[in-house]
Amino acid sequence: MNLTTNELLVTLLLVLPLAGFGVSALIGRRLYTRAWIVEVPVLIVTWLIAMYLVYQTLFLGTFGDGGLHFTLGTWIPAGAFHVDFNFAVDNLTAVLLIVVTTIGMLVHVYSIGYMAHEPGRWRFFAYLNFFMFSMLLLVLADNFVLLFAAWELVGLSSYLLIGFWYNRRSAALAAKKAFLVNRVGDFGFALGIAAVWTTVGTFNFTTTTAGPGVFQLLPQALQTGAIQPWQMTGIALLLFCGAVGKSAQFPLHVWLPDAMEGPTPVSALIHAATMVNAGVYFIARANPIFSQAPQAMVFVAAIGIFTAILAASIAFTQRDIKRVLAYSTLSQLGYMFAGLGVGAYAAAIFHLMTHGFFKGLLFLGSGSVIHSVHDEQDMNKMGALWRKIPITHWTMLIGSIALAGIPPLAGFFSKDEILGGAFKNGFLVVWAIGVVVAVMTGFYMFRLMGKTFYGESHVDPEVEPKIHESPWTMTLPLILLAIPAALLGIALGWPPDSGQIHQWLEPIFAGATQTLGITESQFNFAGIDGTLIIIGAAAAALGVVFGIWFFGLFGMREKRSQVERLTNALRPLYRASVAKWWFDDLNDLIFVRFGGFVARALWWFDVRVVDGTVNGIGALTQDTGRGIRQIQTGRVQNYALGIAAGLLLIAVTYIFVVR
Amino acid sequence: MSHSLDAYLILSGLLFSIGVFGFLARRNAIAMLMSIELMLNAVNLAAIAFGAFTPSLQTHAALIVLLVMAVAAAEATVGLAIVIAIYRNRRTPLVDEYASMRD
Amino acid sequence: MTPLPVLADLQLPPNIPIIGWAWDDLLFLILAGVMLGCALFVVLGRNIVRSGIAMMGCFAALAGIYVLAGAVIVAASEVLVYIGAISVLILFAIMLTQTKSGPTELVFHRQAWAGALAAIGFGLLLIVSVMNTQWPLAGSVRLVASTSAIAMLLFQDSLYIFALQVVAVLLTAAVIGGVFLAKREVSTDPGEPEMATLDRLRAPVEATTADQPA
Repeated sequence: MNLTTNELLVTLLLVLPLAGFGVSALIGRRLYTRAWIVEVPVLIVTWLIAMYLVYQTLFLGTFGDGGLHFTLGTWIPAGAFHVDFNFAVDNLTAVLLIVVTTIGMLVHVYSIGYMAHEPGRWRFFAYLNFFMFSMLLLVLADNFVLLFAAWELVGLSSYLLIGFWYNRRSAALAAKKAFLVNRVGDFGFALGIAAVWTTVGTFNFTTTTAGPGVFQLLPQALQTGAIQPWQMTGIALLLFCGAVGKSAQFPLHVWLPDAMEGPTPVSALIHAATMVNAGVYFIARANPIFSQAPQAMVFVAAIGIFTAILAASIAFTQRDIKRVLAYSTLSQLGYMFAGLGVGAYAAAIFHLMTHGFFKGLLFLGSGSVIHSVHDEQDMNKMGALWRKIPITHWTMLIGSIALAGIPPLAGFFSKDEILGGAFKNGFLVVWAIGVVVAVMTGFYMFRLMGKTFYGESHVDPEVEPKIHESPWTMTLPLILLAIPAALLGIALGWPPDSGQIHQWLEPIFAGATQTLGITESQFNFAGIDGTLIIIGAAAAALGVVFGIWFFGLFGMREKRSQVERLTNALRPLYRASVAKWWFDDLNDLIFVRFGGFVARALWWFDVRVVDGTVNGIGALTQDTGRGIRQIQTGRVQNYALGIAAGLLLIAVTYIFVVR
Repeated sequence: MSHSLDAYLILSGLLFSIGVFGFLARRNAIAMLMSIELMLNAVNLAAIAFGAFTPSLQTHAALIVLLVMAVAAAEATVGLAIVIAIYRNRRTPLVDEYASMRD
Repeated sequence: MTPLPVLADLQLPPNIPIIGWAWDDLLFLILAGVMLGCALFVVLGRNIVRSGIAMMGCFAALAGIYVLAGAVIVAASEVLVYIGAISVLILFAIMLTQTKSGPTELVFHRQAWAGALAAIGFGLLLIVSVMNTQWPLAGSVRLVASTSAIAMLLFQDSLYIFALQVVAVLLTAAVIGGVFLAKREVSTDPGEPEMATLDRLRAPVEATTADQPA
């Protein structure tokens, strides 16, 4: 098969991590401390290839607006159900590649230090490579079936990595929960894919040699009247189910906080920077479908913003540092979906990018903190660490400010564009809730910072003398991530609505923007745009100030009594927040208890009725046999009687019946 | 009556059914063999009866009956020899006890 | 039928005086009754030796019926073969297989009632069939079979010659088989108990134990 250099490079992008996984799976155990020697170089090479491809796509424009599409071979040649290995690299893919490979590489380097004491680290690195392969496959896939396969593979990798410490019951349960909840979403997703196929008969996203792709055919079908609007909305909603599961939106958000049972690099990679973005990426890629189904988009925005505020409210009261970050991830993902739902596609992808960097930074930093206080994750047992682990502290401070959305750091640009898009496209409620969430974000992030780094030390006295900064393999990625966290916003997002990122993503979303009737007005600071920016920045600052006031900064101590008063004043909200709004309990009630009851009833039915019937037939046969066996007495006279009786019967039958 | 075929045949039938009863009901093996002889004789009687009333069959019937008698003698010989052989082993002539074919 | 010299000039009326039957019929009835009575005694009798004797009587009556039916040679061979050989053989066998509990054991099985039903069924079947069948070829005159005709038939008809040879072989086989089955083998080993040849071919079974009654 003839491949151009670029196509070969794309193939290598996939093959290398998979090979790394394979090699490590075979010989990893023997490598002991050097287990990373296979994976990390693989990832570095992968990153280099990816950066080259990104350079080609975004900066040189070699592939044009449509991007590079090629087919590696046929996968399922089953007549009408024809699936090939189609891959595509367009501008959207390139943006995602930047995020995925950069953070992936940095996490791999970080893991060298973080997992240094872990006996099973060869397994960890192998799984990490496998995850990278799955994620790259997802981003590069150009048809639904391949995407779905990669979707599932990513879920599998996530299961393997969350449950890495499989001896721990909580870790095993968390991995199972992640996989099952994902599966629920994937069920809707698969139905959506099936609906697509029955409607247009192809799986390919865009035009290939086999004919036009889904993204051309579906809107056409709607316009010509071949399908009804409700069908389009239905397809969009079903496909959205998958995104809800993978990106942990309400109501399938319950798996993400529990997934913090995995090692911190896993949390950084999968649950902050890459896997949970798969849903956002997919909705962005499927924008031709979604833009034709306005009701679905409203639904997406509603779910997104609801998740945002729900998760932020829970983050207020969590004690585990990683849980706070997990809920923060949920909240920011909600922002992204809200952005997709209101039509601000480019803004959502931009936020995806910036969020990947600063959330990755925050997670890796928290890992460094945990490492330095010897595996203590409860924030109430930390404090006054800012002098002792300076690099970690400063990088995390940069990350927190970026997340809160304070200009001129990265988060401000992307978040503000989403809110601006919401307001300008008429989604005022979304905008208002978004502003409230911005306040909350600032508050809980600086609560985290205050409790962890500032004020007095509540660290366990035995551990305190041993607190030390992490090795360079861990701090280097932190520093490297802090740079884009700080500067990416200005680099790509200025001027707002027409910055570099918008230029890159414009060809992808042009069709959707047109369909939705969104007019790109020039950015006018003096007008509505400026007002929105100021409101957004002010909200973020307000939240930060509250956080600092309550929880301290540098030498300033946490105001315990004030915090207590606030807690008591808002007791019901406090309890609800601590209990995660009882969603886990609800799930437990419905699925585990009631479902268990139903399952037990069915089991009874199976054992008694179904098995009973089968066993009954067996028993019947046996008893009949036992009864009939009585005939064989072994005595000639009984047999003779049988002969006589039979003969009589035949004769009588013959005479009276036949004649 | 002795001039009607039916009478002889009815007599033969009665003798045959007595023989059947004896074969099915008696416990002693030799009694069963005696019942077999009765049945054979009933058959012979029926053959002779047909021969007596049908001119073309007369000699044939007699001949057949003679052959049947020869065969009956042979069969009685062998049967009794078997019974004696079994008796030597089981020490009883009662067929109840010869039930080792059961399993 | 040659009457006895003593009764040479006995003038018998053609039919029995009061009842009006023919003498043949009376004779037939008497012989039939004797035969059936003896047959019943054979199957119902408790003492097996007496059953054997009754069987002889049955055969004798049967021979008389054969004479009445005109088959004299058959009657003669019946007496010779059945009464003279087979019955004696059976009596010998009875003597050889007697057990101590002879008079006290059960005569019939538990299945005797079923057997009776079967027998009655057979009888009814036969009788009813016979009575409902027309015999178009049957005349109403008893004919006598002459011995020379039988002899001619035997040796003329190719079928009966073949049958004759087969029966001869059969008899030879029966004789040899009977001798073999009933023979006692004298073993060379002085300590080993005497066993019949057939027994020696089987795995040794305790000579005094019988099978467990089911």
